[in-house]
Parts: sequence; C-alpha cells; structure tokens
Amino acid sequence: MRQPRRAIVITLVLGLALGAGLLVGTVTAQSGKPLALGPLPPVPVPRDNPMSSEKVELGRMLFFDPRLSGDASTSCASCHDPQKGWGDGGDVSRGYPGTQHWRNSQTVLNAAHYTKLFWAGEVTSLEGQAVAAATGNVAGNGDPMMMEERLRQIPEYVRRFKAVFGTERPLIGDAWKAIATFERTVVSKAENVPFDRHVKGDARALSDDARRGLALFSAKAGCIQCHSGPLLSDESYHSLGVPKSPVFEEDPLRQITLRYQHVSRGVPEPVYRTADRDLGLYYTTKRDEDRGKFRTPTLRELKYTAPYMHNGVFFTLEEVIDFYDQGGGNEPGKSPLLKPLKLTVQEKKDLLVFLLSLSSDQPITVPAPRLPDYAVLK
Amino acid sequence: MNRLLALGGVLAAAVLVLAAGAALAEPLAPLPALKAPNPDQAELGRWLFFETKLSGDAAISCATCHDPRKGWGDGKPLSTGYPGSEYFRNSQTLLNAAHYRRNYWDGRMSGRDMATLVRDHFTEAHFMQADGRLQAERLKQVPEYDERFRKAMGGEPSFGRILNALVAFVGTVTSRNAPIDRYLRGEAGALTPAAQEGMRLFQGKAGCIQCHDGALLSDQKFHVLGLPENPQVFQGPLRHISFRRFMKTLGAPNYDNLREDIGLAAVTKEPQDRGKFRTPSLREVSRTAPYMHNGSLATLGDVVDFYNRGGGAHPNKSSLLRPLGLSDGETKALVAFLEHLAGDPVVVEAPTPPDYKLRTLGKN
Repeated sequence: MRQPRRAIVITLVLGLALGAGLLVGTVTAQSGKPLALGPLPPVPVPRDNPMSSEKVELGRMLFFDPRLSGDASTSCASCHDPQKGWGDGGDVSRGYPGTQHWRNSQTVLNAAHYTKLFWAGEVTSLEGQAVAAATGNVAGNGDPMMMEERLRQIPEYVRRFKAVFGTERPLIGDAWKAIATFERTVVSKAENVPFDRHVKGDARALSDDARRGLALFSAKAGCIQCHSGPLLSDESYHSLGVPKSPVFEEDPLRQITLRYQHVSRGVPEPVYRTADRDLGLYYTTKRDEDRGKFRTPTLRELKYTAPYMHNGVFFTLEEVIDFYDQGGGNEPGKSPLLKPLKLTVQEKKDLLVFLLSLSSDQPITVPAPRLPDYAVLK
Repeated sequence: MNRLLALGGVLAAAVLVLAAGAALAEPLAPLPALKAPNPDQAELGRWLFFETKLSGDAAISCATCHDPRKGWGDGKPLSTGYPGSEYFRNSQTLLNAAHYRRNYWDGRMSGRDMATLVRDHFTEAHFMQADGRLQAERLKQVPEYDERFRKAMGGEPSFGRILNALVAFVGTVTSRNAPIDRYLRGEAGALTPAAQEGMRLFQGKAGCIQCHDGALLSDQKFHVLGLPENPQVFQGPLRHISFRRFMKTLGAPNYDNLREDIGLAAVTKEPQDRGKFRTPSLREVSRTAPYMHNGSLATLGDVVDFYNRGGGAHPNKSSLLRPLGLSDGETKALVAFLEHLAGDPVVVEAPTPPDYKLRTLGKN
C-alpha cells in the first residue's frame, strides 16, 4: 500500500512544480509500476541483515581489503573505486589478474535500491552480489574457505565480527553481510541532489534548461518509459542494440572471457561456437527473445559514472543521448519502445542538463580505511 | 586345537621376522619401466607444465613448485603455493611420482588416477586456484596450443585433455640409469665400497629397508616418526591459514585448535593415524633436499642422524624406530649409499610460452 501512495504524492508534487499535465501521456511502460520520479525512499534493509554502525564500519574495511580475493590482490574497491564513481573508470572492467572482465563495472552508488543486480539481474541482493563478485573467476577468484580463514588470522576482524555477529570466529557469509550493509550507506542524499531538491519544492534547484530537459525526459524523449521511479530504473530488461564494444575484437583476454562466460553459463554449444557478443539476460533464461536484454540502470549520480552502458561503449552522455535520438541500435529483438526522437540540438542540451541534475553536487566518497594485519595465533 | 597351535606358530614366526628387521621387506630391485606415454601427449604436457596461463591469476605454473632444476621440488622446506598464500608442507619431487599407489604426503589421492591428482593441484585454493573452463579458453586463445591439442589429444583444448597431457608428461619424469639399479643388475662397480657398506647397513643394522623397500624404496605405507613440527607452519600466518583451511576442507575435527600436522588422520579421522605420513621414495633423494613432510631436515646427514637417535617423540611413534647406534663411519657409509640412488639428471628445458593471439570473433 505504501508505494502507490508515495507515488501519488510525488506525482502531485511534480505536477505542481512543473505545471499541470506534464506527466500525462508518459505513463506507457509495460510493468505498471509507479513511474513518478522523486527522491529515493529510505534504503530497504533485509530482515536478516539489520543495519548497525559497527557493521557499516566492518563492511567498509572489508570492502577495501584485497585479502577477500584469490591472490590477495583485488578488493571490492579495485573495481568499485570511490574515487572513480564507485566503478573502475574503464569501459570494460579490468577484472582479476591474468584476466580482463567483459562488462562495465557498475557503480555501487544507490545499488542498495536495486532488487536485481549485475547488468542482467543475475542476483537479487547486495549480499548475493558480493559473494558472486569475490568468487567469480574473472572478478575476485576467491575461495570462500580460504578467505574465511584469512579473516580468522586477523585479530581485529575476529573482535569486530564477534561484536557485530556474535560469532567466535568470522564466517565468510557474514563478511558479505557486512559489505552489503556498508553499501547500503553509499546512497544519494536528497538534499545534495538538485533534482530531489526541486521535487521537494526548492524553486531554484533546477535551471530553466533542466526543467525543459525534465519535460523532454518525461514526454518527447520518452526516457521515463524505462528510467522511472525514484531510482530512475524500471528494473526491467530491455534490448537497446548498443554497439558492440571494440575490446572483443582487440584484446585476446577479452575474447577468452567472452567465451568463458558462454561456457560457464551453460549455453547450448552452437551458441558458444558463434559467440561474438554479450547476450545479457539470455544466459539466465536461454530464451532467444532475451538476447541482448539488460536491466535498466539507475541514472542517479551518472555525472560521476562514465563510461556508460553494459559494455562502456559510450564515454560521454552526449553519445548516449545521440544513441537514443537515433532510436537506439539496430539489432533484431530491439525494444519497440525505442524510436527516433528527432530532438533538436537545444533539446539534447536541455536533456543533458537535466540528467546532470540527478547527481549529487559533490561526488560521494569514502576514505580508505587502515587495514588490520595478520597475527600469529596462540 | 591344532589350528590354534598352527596360528600360534605363524605368529611366533612373524615376531621373529619382525625382530630380524628387514625380513618382511620387499627386496631392493631395479625400478621397472612404466608404460611409455604417447610422445606427442608428453611433449604437449611439457609445454603445459611450464605454462603460467594455467593458474588462476596466470602467475605460477607447475614448475614453480616442481622445478626440474631443483630436483623437481622447489628447494624450500615448505612450499609457497598460490600468490597470497603459503603452503604448510614440503613440495615433493615429481621424479618417479607416477610409481606411487597413493599421492601427497598424507596419501589422500590415488596413484591410479593421476589425472585427478593433477586436477587437484589446479583447482586447490592453496596451489593454483584455477577454473578448468577458464584454462581451456585461455589455451584456445593460443594457436600453437590449439594445433598441438588437435594433433596429440584428438581435439581442441579442454580441461580433461589438459589433465591427460600433463599425466603423460609426468610419466616421463622417472629415474634413469641409477647406480643402484646397475648394481642390482650385476654391475659391481656401480656402487663405491662405502656405498656398498651403506647398502648393507640400510638392509641390516640401520633397518631403513623396513619401510624403504622394493623398487621404489618405499613401502607406500604410513608411519609416525615423531618428527618435530616445523614452527613456521604456525608462526607464519599465511601458512597457518592454508593449514586451517585444508584441515577444514577435509573435515578434520578441531581444526581450529590444531597446532600439529596430523597427516593421515585428517584423511581417515582415525586417532591412531595422527602424525602418520606416507613413506616417500628414496630414489633421487640426493637431489631433493630439504627432507620430510615439513622440510625440517636440511641434509641427508641430518636425516640419518634423526633415525640414528631412534626418531622423535610422539605418542603414536612407530615401534620400528629405535636408536641405531651407528658410528660416524657407518653414518657416512649410509649417506654414500643414499647418494647412489639418483640416476642421470632428468633435465627438461622450459619452453618459451607462446603468446595469446587474437581470434576471429564469433568463430569459436
């Protein structure tokens, strides 16, 4: 009951702020979910992993600790660097030593609001994302029991895990819980986001350009068809026909990873033999109609999270806007929601200004902690 | 009644034989030849043996811990293992490894399935932490390997074919032309007089042959020697981590509090197996220092001294061990014999690993 009511309230607020009727006619997404934009609600917290400041602090330490990887070289922060918008700044992520990853490293910013994580929604919680990334062969390549015993060898972690989880020794599953708890604090605050201030009634929060951009976003440009709700994501899967990333033509390590993903996700052999691109949701469902579909990402904080798309093929927002203006790419199975938009030069500029208003005034960062040492155990 | 008497007689005879020391042992014998591996497969295995692309982070190869220049071990008391970790046992030589019925110091792997032994090295977190599917895709990115696999293994690189090629290669890493074998075949001059004296002691007063018998100079059984723990295992945090994780993966009770390497008991969970390790072959032993499962004895002289003292102290210590009363001269003769157990050096050149090449996208 709460969500619809919130949506109605926000819609009303928006309507007052923008002038009546602006959102009318834009509510065309298939899901029927609330589409109204507005500040993020409080972060959802799973009942089996409640928040506490001690757990957040432990999670911050673990997030930066490279011992939670196979060869103790790669921490969460290696690919989700707070100084790089909580991604790694590359088009396609760097991955574990000896490998190169195959997708863009997504930002952690506001990931706490997703119900589907990774580019094709492969997991449904931050806890699940953490273990998948730390153990994935081209990401962290860690062995859970080895990582658990490493934590056991660090007295400060033993103390902190006991204080937070009540266990006599650290359990690796609790490490993922702590990291997820930390990540639930890595979220936008409405008072720092121009668009959120605008929705809350700050008449000076958005420039005229941004207001025009918001109108385009919600109507002519149709962005809101998928980038809807407080998260600016419908969390649904769409095929855009994003251009292929050149890295798969240029880098042998990327070719290895592309094939490896096809093998490890269990696609039929003919699909493996012809694999030349990331098939997105298809790996999960093995349904041809899901080829090339990826989960809509949030647009919040995108000022800090270039490059864009699942393969990082666009380095600027201008390129992204041009892509949609052309009606997206031209792959079979492309979403029918994408059509040429015929935006003018000025409209594209306005849209860009609006998109930037979805980011905090200053980047959200966290200092790297001092990491505790191994010790000899009696 | 008659049967009981007969049984008693057999038991009495057995006691006499035990007292005689070596009588139950298999006689020393030349090392039999193994079935020769397919040469193309063995040659491919040689390339893979030195190939760092087969470890998780592409940093180490089989040869990192089984270096042909270091007696096919790593020359260290305790092996290092995967980056970010340190291992808690000595890296054993691969020389003649294909002859064992059981492998690893605690014998947890069957010698009849060498492919699984190789697989265990690849996938274990403390050794190479590699995924076989990723290994195969890496090798497919190297045209030379693709060609060699098709020729030698009958198809493109796969995890199973990688394992089988390495099994073929390991089958070639065996002793050749050892003085002991020439001597046993009748070439009296193959052993020096001191070594011949050492051989007599080995089979008699020193009693080595009670466990180091047969062609392999190993009974392939498990014994407690009471060797002191290597303090580095528990004083080195990274080694202690690997130790604890390993014991946990085997399901060893109380693994968190163990401060001793329980050996076979971690496999069998039988208290009487605590501290037992599989007798290693003595072939090539002069090339494979340091010695014992924890590398705590640096030289063959140290090893002989250890046995001369009757071994160490342990509640489960083998009753076969007792002070030997060897003189200095006898000790030297024994070492001389041990030095004649090495054949011609098994030299294998490390190939220059071929590079990854771009492939045509979509033609896999």
